[in-house]
Amino acid sequence: MQEKIIKYIEEELANEELDGGLEATEDLLGSGILDSLGMMKLIAFLEDEFGCKVLPEEMVIENFMTVAHVNDYLVSKQ
Amino acid sequence: MLVYTLPHIIENAAQQQPDKIAFKYLSDTLTFSELHVKSNQLAQYLKNKGIQKGDRIGIYMPRCLETTIAIYGILKAGAVYVPLDPFAPITRTEFVCKDCDIKHIISIPQQTRKLKKFSGDTGLVSIIGIHQELSVATAISWETIFEVSIVPSAPVNILGDDLAYILYTSGSTGTPKGIMHTHTSALAFVKLAATMYEMQDAIYGMHAPLHFDPSVQGYYAAPYALATTIIVSDAHTKMPSSLAELIEKEKITIWFSVPLALIQMLSHGNLDHRDMSSLKWVLFSGEVFATKHLQALMKRWPFAKFSNIYGPTEANQCTYYHLETPPLTDVPIPIGYIWGDTAFKIIDPQDQEVNDGDIGELVIRTATMMKGYWNNPELTQASFYKEETIVGAPHIYYRTGDQVCLDKEGRLLFLGRKDHQVKIRGYRIELGEIESVLSSYSGIEEAVTIVINEEITAQKKLIAILLPSHHTSIDIAALKAYCQQNLPAYAIPDSIEIYNEFPRTASGKINRKEIEKRITS
Repeated sequence: MQEKIIKYIEEELANEELDGGLEATEDLLGSGILDSLGMMKLIAFLEDEFGCKVLPEEMVIENFMTVAHVNDYLVSKQ
Repeated sequence: MLVYTLPHIIENAAQQQPDKIAFKYLSDTLTFSELHVKSNQLAQYLKNKGIQKGDRIGIYMPRCLETTIAIYGILKAGAVYVPLDPFAPITRTEFVCKDCDIKHIISIPQQTRKLKKFSGDTGLVSIIGIHQELSVATAISWETIFEVSIVPSAPVNILGDDLAYILYTSGSTGTPKGIMHTHTSALAFVKLAATMYEMQDAIYGMHAPLHFDPSVQGYYAAPYALATTIIVSDAHTKMPSSLAELIEKEKITIWFSVPLALIQMLSHGNLDHRDMSSLKWVLFSGEVFATKHLQALMKRWPFAKFSNIYGPTEANQCTYYHLETPPLTDVPIPIGYIWGDTAFKIIDPQDQEVNDGDIGELVIRTATMMKGYWNNPELTQASFYKEETIVGAPHIYYRTGDQVCLDKEGRLLFLGRKDHQVKIRGYRIELGEIESVLSSYSGIEEAVTIVINEEITAQKKLIAILLPSHHTSIDIAALKAYCQQNLPAYAIPDSIEIYNEFPRTASGKINRKEIEKRITS
């Protein structure tokens, strides 16, 4: 799951050049990797790809800080 | 005290309410007196280093508390600050540094990785705010700055007419242009905004990055009114539910952002479970707020007054349109009425005033107007319209490039641009700049960019259409990477199409309207 998310961000969303690829622990929100529209696209991707529903109350910093956080959040929903 | 330069704002606030929180970022705060002392230390350090009045100093960091110390410290030293977008490609940032001869940059340790990529020929001497020495510049930490002793000396004589900051924005020729504001032009805006939006003792939510002109309200108008500014973190701007939670938790009374942030909160902010009743004013600017979303948000927040703010960076704010109840129809709302210390005309291509109700270009004469474009007297000259009503004392208007008309109620309506400038998520983009970057890529003969409105999401999409050189195939992924190196994120095309030939007008120009028709059909 984590690799799929990383691949999607690297290929479709990343706004800036990533030095040697995106790390699972890299700050997604405080950096320039994603902008607010990119985040909305990521959420749509997660819903399509993993068949989950990201509820508005779950769209919080704690769940999306890094790819590892996104992964943990998705696992907790399963 | 008499407030006629921007540093006076913080001196005055530190005298009036020293222990009041001036700025808050996440859980960290700075009182007015702490900000006064820390910015004095930075100013002293800069003076010790030989910084002269008028020298340009870059600020390279996402907004945070250090941003406030940087802006006031630089200004107190008599220098001019230049915000450098922390997320812009390095080549663009280096261009800005060279364009206005920046030798020193104020930053934070988190930016070190990017700072290491700056090349030696950028001309940097030192970076303030990081720990690690760079190959191209020395490093001085914030800890060192906060140990600087203030040496009594003759104060720098800063006048209202001196430059305060330069904001770089997209330029049609392919490189950004610097808009110069003085203490006087910024303060005229600050005083009008503080009064109009009743900022006295407010809790002000600041969403704008420093290189974006609405930030002037949060950094100066709010402290001018002794209000507390909550600096919204970048993480919050990307997570609508966290953003709504922040407004609720901090009991923000004045909110100012681009419409997109509000639309995202409306759709994903979990507003059913939030008490946002602290909001008294919701201000928005940068682009048109799709009326159906505005109506929906106003119904949710009936306790707040809304205000549509219009004004190019060159002139700060020019007009306002307040709404206390949701608009009744889907018609785009007006940009409204001209505000204080400002006059306007609507002119035709021959610089003659149009008849009442007719469409023309808006030109404005205002105390909040820029000094001109950095190092570009021709562009400065071309952007002003002079009216010689009094010999020797012409009235100087700024040509906004915006097409407007007056409606029967005397309100200004915005009807688009005269040129190829567009607004995406509040950012000004000259399509010419994107096209010039695309055309510079090997194998591309010509490039056109157009913007289409997506009905469902109410978002704008930037589409690039390319004409490759004969028999050349374009590697789209490589081209996108090239765009990332040379354009800010908001100016990178959302999609790219390849044409074998462009439709042309009779005079041989690319027929943009025809291309637009093909793309949207």
